[in-house]
Amino acid sequence: MAEFLPILFFLVICLVLMAGYPVAFSLAGVSLLFASLGTMLGGFDSAYLGLIPNRIYGILINQNLYAVPLFVFMGSMLEKSRIADDLLKNMALVFGRMPGGLGISVIVVGMLLAASTGIVGATVVTMGILSLPTMLKAGYKPSLAAGTVCATGTLGQIIPPSICLVLLGEVISNSYQQSQLNSGVFAPDFVSIGDLFAGAIIPGLILVSAYAGYVFIYARLRAEDAPPLEQEVALTKFGMAIALVKGLMPPVFLMVAVLGSILFGIATPTEAASVGALGAMLLAAAKRALNLRVMHEVAIETTKVTSMVYLILVGATIFSSVFRGFGGDLLIEELLNGLPGGVISATLIVMLLIFLLGFILDFIEITFMVVPLVGPILLGMGLDPIWLGVMIAINLQTSFLTPPFGFSLFYLRSVAPIKLKTSDIYRGVVPFIVIQISLMLLLTFQPKFVTWLPSLLH
Amino acid sequence: MLLLCRRLVIVKIHNISIFTHLDVVAKMNKICIYIDRFNDAIGRASSWLCLLMVLMMVLIVTLRYVFHVGSVALQESIIYINAIIFTFGAAYTLKEQGHVRVDIFYSRFTPKQQALVDLAGALIFLIPVCIFIIFSSWDYVLVAWRIKESSAEGSGLPFVYLLKASIWVLAGLIILQGIAESLRAFGKFLSVEVEEGK
Repeated sequence: MAEFLPILFFLVICLVLMAGYPVAFSLAGVSLLFASLGTMLGGFDSAYLGLIPNRIYGILINQNLYAVPLFVFMGSMLEKSRIADDLLKNMALVFGRMPGGLGISVIVVGMLLAASTGIVGATVVTMGILSLPTMLKAGYKPSLAAGTVCATGTLGQIIPPSICLVLLGEVISNSYQQSQLNSGVFAPDFVSIGDLFAGAIIPGLILVSAYAGYVFIYARLRAEDAPPLEQEVALTKFGMAIALVKGLMPPVFLMVAVLGSILFGIATPTEAASVGALGAMLLAAAKRALNLRVMHEVAIETTKVTSMVYLILVGATIFSSVFRGFGGDLLIEELLNGLPGGVISATLIVMLLIFLLGFILDFIEITFMVVPLVGPILLGMGLDPIWLGVMIAINLQTSFLTPPFGFSLFYLRSVAPIKLKTSDIYRGVVPFIVIQISLMLLLTFQPKFVTWLPSLLH
Repeated sequence: MLLLCRRLVIVKIHNISIFTHLDVVAKMNKICIYIDRFNDAIGRASSWLCLLMVLMMVLIVTLRYVFHVGSVALQESIIYINAIIFTFGAAYTLKEQGHVRVDIFYSRFTPKQQALVDLAGALIFLIPVCIFIIFSSWDYVLVAWRIKESSAEGSGLPFVYLLKASIWVLAGLIILQGIAESLRAFGKFLSVEVEEGK
């Protein structure tokens, strides 16, 4: 019985989290309660508690995490200076006249914006406010509009340079070293955050193309459900070119520069993020939207998101110390290794677990709580670390889209007009879920789509 | 700020019928306001460090790639800026409701139920966790402080003991804000009860 205490511990945490008190404190609080219970009743090695201060200090000095505030700064600057709005407006101006064009614009803008935000909710809310009313007004079928916005809002996790991938990359990198140390390799191979970025690019682009392709085909088949935008002024070719250059080029250039410098090993993600943040400020200045008020708003937003991420990391550290103190890591290893079917069934089980946890926990929590526990074991079984990271990201993204519990759906519901039925949202996301699952199957049988680009860059 | 004051006033009015000692309520509200102002000032002021962090990092990148100069001290200054953003900003983020919740159910709770969750959470989780962090890191920080621990790199910054002490700042500021949040939740919990009793 006592050996299953870690599982009970985990279940209690999930239950307590449902009450809705901030995750970081709930995680740490329940862990400490269990730790004191375990100390009194036995079965808990309290030496693990003594490691916590040094681990918190380790979080503070972890250089890879500095990319978080810098990328948040960049994304927040693009949003607060309304560059994002302009982007959508100009895209719609250029592509809106073809059937489905508005939907495709939304997807492309979502991809560009997504890159810099880390929290599912935030992106879905931004996209929902920004584009859902426009699509509905243009006469899009409600379920198509809702599905597009929901799915696009979750793109943020898989398209680099997303904060989710920074954090996941950090955890996967540690897990990979851990797994090699466990099997006696003392000069371990190294996987960087940049490698995970590289691995996510092709799957990310496949996903975006598939989304856009779906909207395009839909519009071809049923033009009345995805009508072209009616424009007050007909644009000349020249005017269109101007709109395209003015609205689209700067943010695209920024993203390509940031990503490119990371991928070609010119800059570390942290360095590239700082240049990206400066670039975003310059773009805002060029728009005459850079003033003290905007800068302070951006700085405050950055402080909040950074504190939120770091505090969850502290909470998750306390959780994992206690979980290990109960021997939970050994239990998980035993369970996963004991499965019939070896690495395949272990991966399947873990993916299923992560999918289900995605209903109650956000990307960051799962990355910090679950991946460090299962990562080293799966990687020890011979999985490719980059492949595992990308699959986890896509898996979570799918989870966030799946009715009735998906996060994305909740957030869209909260900003959608009342006349948009919940059933429309549910119906609208189904095709996108099919796309997600197909992509996961494709990557399972053709892992080269993930591993090819990173290997090329090495 | 105005909204906050208004909320406090409402709490105060409702509480009158419960508390015979008016000054207790007044004191409670005053504590909330002072703590809020304190953490607000700290959070807003330290948030400017985000801008500084961007500029410093750009400076480092420029020095490194354009002038081929690397400075350990400059590199390490980023550690300190980043640590201050988090350790000084976490309590402010708490005040601004910026720490994520699993709000599937929470968002559908009545204000009274939400207040109950917030009150219980602060008392059972937030405050004990922060006290634990301070106590468990007591020796860890003191030892660093006593030897004035410096960077492991010769040319690095000699303030590692301050960096370690910032763990206390983090926990201390959060406890402070936690007190304000729990008082507020307590007031909300009582006032709503009165309203429903009518």
